[in-house]
Amino acid sequence: MNTVAAVHFLGALVVASPAVLLASLGMPLLFGIRLSEESQARFTKAAVLAGLLGAVGMLVVMLASGIRHVPIEFGNWVSIEQEHFHFHLKFVFDRLSVPFVILSYVLCGTVGAFATIYLHKEAGFRRFFLQYALFFLGMVVSSLAGTIETLFFGWELVGLSSALLVAYFHQRPGPVRNGLRVWGTYRIADAAFLVAALTMHHLTGAGDFDGLMGAGHWPDGVAAIGSWPALVVGLLLLLAAAGKSGMVPFSGWLPRAMEGPTPSSAVFYGALSIHLGTYLLLRVSPLLDASLPLRVAVITLGIISAVFGAFAARVQTDVKNALAFASLTQVGIITIEIGFGFHYVALVHMIGHACLRTLQLLRAPSVLKDHQMLEDAVGEHLTGDLVNPPQVATRFQRWLYRFAMQRGNLDAILDDWILRPFTKTFELFDSLERRWTDLLAGESSRESDRLSPYSESLEDVA
Amino acid sequence: MLALKSDGHESVANPLAGESAEIRLLIERVTHYLPAQGPIEVFVHHNTLHAFEAESFHDAVAKGSDRYHAEPYLSLAEYRRFYNEGRITDVDLEAAVNNDLGEDWNHEINGLGTRSEIRYAMLRHAVQIGPDAELRWIVAETDALEKFRTKATEINRTRIVLASQKWLRKVEHSENALSKVSDLVGKFGHDSARWSDSAWEAFALHLLWRICLQGVEDHSAPTESHGFIRPRDLLLHATGVDIDRRVHEVLIRFCAAYVDQGYSDWILPNRDQGFFESFCQLFSVHVIGTDRWLRHLPRELSDLIEGNISAEDSIVASLDEFGVAMEDREEFLSMSLLSLGGWAGMIWQLESGVDWVVHAIPKDSLVGMLAVQLILEKHAVLDLGKEMYRDTSQVGKILHKAHQQVTSPEPLNQERRAFLLFQVAQMLGWTPLELEQLTQPQWQELSTEVESFSAIHRRRVFHEAFELKYRRAALDAFAIHSARRRDVTSPWSPGRPVFQIVTCIDDREESFRRHLEEVQSKCQTFGAAGFFAVAIYYRGASEGFYKPLCPGVVVPDHYVQEDVGYTFEGEYRGRAELRRRLGLVSRLFHTRSRTFTGGAITAIVGSLATAPLVARVLFPRLTAKIRRRFGSLLQPPPVTQLHLERFEAEPGPTGDHIGYTPEEMAEIVVRLLQDIGLTTTGEYARLFIVCGHGSSSLNNPHESAYCCGACAGKRGGPNARAFAQMANDWRVRAKVKALGITIPDDTTFVGAYHNTCDDSVVFYDLDRLPASHRNDFESARDEIEEARRRNAHERSRRFESAPLSISAADALRHVEGRAQDISQARPEYNHATNALCLVGRREWSRGLFLDRRSFLTSYDPSQDDQDHSVLLRILSAAMPVCAGINLEYYFSCVDYTRYGSGSKLPHNIVSLLGVMEGTSSDLRTGLYQQMIEIHEPLRILFMIESTPEAMLTIMKRNEGIDRLVRGNWCHLAVVDPMTSKIEVFKGGQFEPYQAGASDLPQVDASYDCYQGSREHRPFYSIAETEVAR
Repeated sequence: MNTVAAVHFLGALVVASPAVLLASLGMPLLFGIRLSEESQARFTKAAVLAGLLGAVGMLVVMLASGIRHVPIEFGNWVSIEQEHFHFHLKFVFDRLSVPFVILSYVLCGTVGAFATIYLHKEAGFRRFFLQYALFFLGMVVSSLAGTIETLFFGWELVGLSSALLVAYFHQRPGPVRNGLRVWGTYRIADAAFLVAALTMHHLTGAGDFDGLMGAGHWPDGVAAIGSWPALVVGLLLLLAAAGKSGMVPFSGWLPRAMEGPTPSSAVFYGALSIHLGTYLLLRVSPLLDASLPLRVAVITLGIISAVFGAFAARVQTDVKNALAFASLTQVGIITIEIGFGFHYVALVHMIGHACLRTLQLLRAPSVLKDHQMLEDAVGEHLTGDLVNPPQVATRFQRWLYRFAMQRGNLDAILDDWILRPFTKTFELFDSLERRWTDLLAGESSRESDRLSPYSESLEDVA
Repeated sequence: MLALKSDGHESVANPLAGESAEIRLLIERVTHYLPAQGPIEVFVHHNTLHAFEAESFHDAVAKGSDRYHAEPYLSLAEYRRFYNEGRITDVDLEAAVNNDLGEDWNHEINGLGTRSEIRYAMLRHAVQIGPDAELRWIVAETDALEKFRTKATEINRTRIVLASQKWLRKVEHSENALSKVSDLVGKFGHDSARWSDSAWEAFALHLLWRICLQGVEDHSAPTESHGFIRPRDLLLHATGVDIDRRVHEVLIRFCAAYVDQGYSDWILPNRDQGFFESFCQLFSVHVIGTDRWLRHLPRELSDLIEGNISAEDSIVASLDEFGVAMEDREEFLSMSLLSLGGWAGMIWQLESGVDWVVHAIPKDSLVGMLAVQLILEKHAVLDLGKEMYRDTSQVGKILHKAHQQVTSPEPLNQERRAFLLFQVAQMLGWTPLELEQLTQPQWQELSTEVESFSAIHRRRVFHEAFELKYRRAALDAFAIHSARRRDVTSPWSPGRPVFQIVTCIDDREESFRRHLEEVQSKCQTFGAAGFFAVAIYYRGASEGFYKPLCPGVVVPDHYVQEDVGYTFEGEYRGRAELRRRLGLVSRLFHTRSRTFTGGAITAIVGSLATAPLVARVLFPRLTAKIRRRFGSLLQPPPVTQLHLERFEAEPGPTGDHIGYTPEEMAEIVVRLLQDIGLTTTGEYARLFIVCGHGSSSLNNPHESAYCCGACAGKRGGPNARAFAQMANDWRVRAKVKALGITIPDDTTFVGAYHNTCDDSVVFYDLDRLPASHRNDFESARDEIEEARRRNAHERSRRFESAPLSISAADALRHVEGRAQDISQARPEYNHATNALCLVGRREWSRGLFLDRRSFLTSYDPSQDDQDHSVLLRILSAAMPVCAGINLEYYFSCVDYTRYGSGSKLPHNIVSLLGVMEGTSSDLRTGLYQQMIEIHEPLRILFMIESTPEAMLTIMKRNEGIDRLVRGNWCHLAVVDPMTSKIEVFKGGQFEPYQAGASDLPQVDASYDCYQGSREHRPFYSIAETEVAR
């Protein structure tokens, strides 16, 4: 009994810490209170430490007591019985979520500490930390989600905060445009996710992962649905994961996301949110056992993404882009591992990759110095016209270089095949409508076309 | 498809042959406008507006503002804030206005006030004016036509209201005049006797407004002539689509790959053939799914290759296609290049000046880049035309359509001019009655007078006033302080100083020297350019290559190398080999972690990265300590020596060619001692420390900008070490003696290095210190120790993360932490706040609190020859360098997004050459926001201990100095400390300066000057401490 109480307390602590942080940073802003940098930093530190202690405590208790699965219920928050709809908030601590949530805490905490100094005196300091708290909460919720609706909730928080952070430097058009692009891509992933969630509800009557996995806890679950439904749900989830992890064909947003301040790029794209997709695949990995075509699809997507990332990374001339594509390669490999059913390998790989990439991204401004130090250590130039004398490139080499340089044209393809038909259709409707209304009115029917934004004389506005 | 078919093109190619030479000339002219910053590894401060150096400062900033769309001065709001805070006083403002107007200042305008009165009023009160939308907003939101401006005085308000009442009474009998205001009268009620005060106020203002409007309506404003409009700007205006976005995305990636110094794994194919050739070959390959607007590019490029069309010919063809007239060509090309100026500038630097990069680029790369840019622009325009106008035929046609589409909205020109007068009228109390009586020419005169004092002009006057305030304070402070110093005997007389130290002239060493003099009043300090006349290529024992350690303009011809002595040679060879292997492994890891095969490594060791990650962010000082401990295993042994003496005739980088001959060494020693004016035997202390400086910080691509400017953005320790070794050599001393300077036998030189970021000082070659000098050295070291602690304390007041109540010991820890912190965007503030340069004997400025804002150069005019050759020598180096630093700070500060490199936060190293903002932007040059945030843009004031005649001859002999001074890029004053007489250079000649203030607060220590404040501090006089420790 005591253990159960302790476990529940720890679990609640882990979930509540980021939520409290978000409230304590956000509420004062709502009331127009401007917290100082120090107090914001202190809140962040306290929330991370409390949550991290909870998570580590949970790990210790689970190891000591042999419990491998701790569900924490917050009940149905919305329940519409007639429609069989309920929003069931439930968190699960198990062999998958505990390491991942600890990783989230460690990296978010480190990056938070980094950002307090790095963003010192920055005009958007509060905004950054509010969005950081949002992201942090989203990460924790998604890692611990026990139902698909809870996961979706966390997933949305991560998406929203990521897009806002990409557009952090909103005085320049580039970051805002890229933020929108990230947001748009996430919408596609979310749509797929939502359809998958609904399908799952329809099939199992609940969004609980337990139901989906049937008997046994991760990673030993066995999916309780048939092969075909598993394929459908699995493919939708794979699409969602691809969008979130920037896998082919959604890789275009990854480099664009590097517009934010260094710590945000570091934690999001290099380290945490890029792994959310693969984390989702791990979470639903029993589905893979239920459907061989799904497994093949996962492995194929992983291979394509990894190869693509490796090529694209080779031609990048700047640090952030190179690291973005390097991350993609690793995510592709992790996806392959999941496809082959190496769950623990994938988990370890994910954690290792996240830590290494965060360090590399935080130290990105040092590459020039590192390069010089290496050359000094080796005692000779490592690159240059003498080391790599110019060679004549074959047509294939040029093609490959171009392909990598244009990042496989993935953005252009998405624009052409998804965006363009979409906007063209609506433009068509617009022109049809205009034509009809003009015809019916017998004159130009849009008043807004004729409106001048200003009145005639300056005295009138006074 | 496109107009540029190969056959069609060839037919016109030949007539273009002459044109292509012309195009090259044009481009070469345009390159002057490009930023001159080279690879970021060597950051040399220079005047950002070097392109306009031949002009005077104010003209140049105005032109720069046109050319780069950058701010010329601080904003009016900023100056007004200074004004409200008392940083600019009424006296300064009046002086600046009168100065600006010259003899015309008293000219009366229509009996309404003198020119200077009108301008003065326009400066003291904010004049709100702006584009149409802003104007409407102001009028609507500030109730401008209902209530008087808040700053309008009571007298003026009453004047205007009373006059309006009189006016109304007068016109009440004339129907004709009344009809003009009948709607107004109707608004407040027909019985004007019952109007409330606020109704009268509103009525008076409306009346005033109508009269102003009517007044300016009668004559037309001078029409502004629009220059050439860049096609991209036209299209952006007409359609809202920015073609630069697409063009730049492709071009930036290609430029980065083209100049890459080895970051990417794959090298751009055929880059050795040139920009244009490489681009044509790469982009003539067809790749599936390429962006829609680039689909026709491969065909065109193939045609270009087949037709053997050169880049110049392609530019000529593009110019024709865009329909650019002959006289607009230069403007068009310069606009195009400047739209991606950072990259264009870097390419130009690499092809024309910088020859030490490992990947060189062929000549004419910039021409190629421009050709490619225009081709891409053409395709973008054609695609846009298809989208917007369903027309892909010709660029010219599309531009024409866009031109038609741009319907310029009815601009509120009249209203804007009237509103300006309306505001000035309230401030000066011009009544409707007075204004109504003006004739049309009078209106014209009035309105021209007010309008000619444009916003940029107001900022200029404000800026002059702002500088004047500081300049007066500085000159007064020096005059008073030097007068005080005349009564003070030097603390060491009649004996010798306890020790002497020469540091760089750097403004950051000002406080270090001041604190040292306070700690040990019997120490004497000097300032000389931080390479100490030792211009060398230097290679440290753990370094792979020679690097220049001397000012950027000097090309050294001597080489110096750090050697590991006999004792440690064997051991060191092992270490070097280990280091080499570790280096190779670590390189392998860094590159592999980005590739496919890196997966395994990442999975295994990735988690281990947590330890350094967390440690470095949370415990930077501890981590640094651990890293040093382990790093020392790989570093050179503690004892090394400089290979300084040459035995072969010719200097060179290897073997016996390394180093100097004793004769050359003697020349160097004599030169420095003459520069600092230390030539009398009796004046030498037993210990003479030569202290170079540099800075070290982590995660900072701009690290070089923080180091010694006189050592080409490197650390100046080796120069100091070399100088000390030369001056200690008895053979050199004999030769020095032959040249007229006798250094006492008991004087020993010690080299040192001051790190301005963590305030550490290390000494070189202490093993060679004679036993007789051990005590001298140790007490000097203790005093330097204390001085650096105090220096760190003074610096810490500027860092908001260090509490103001911090102790000296904690302050030192604080600055040490900053240097080791990877999350620190401001390791130190570098030259920020610099505003002064003193050239002269330290005796006069010793004890003057300069707040780390002044460069300090030692110079003794009494030891100079008739031709002032020592002064010329010193100023030829110091003035361009100090002014360069000052001006770079000025421009990066007034506009850090255009002239500077924006915020440091999104900086991203690209091609190992520079930084971009985010992942795809222009290469950013200049200083970043975090670097200049405490700076105040003031042109530097040189205060030189000399005579006007000497300075005039020097200006005559050095063109660079002449340009700086006559162009007002800096201020110049010559001082005579013996009489405290100061003359300032103004309008081409020296004029005596009338001292303003007569008092300069005196305090006991630097601590009292700055304690408890984060702001700029005024000048103080610090009393000489009587008793030395």
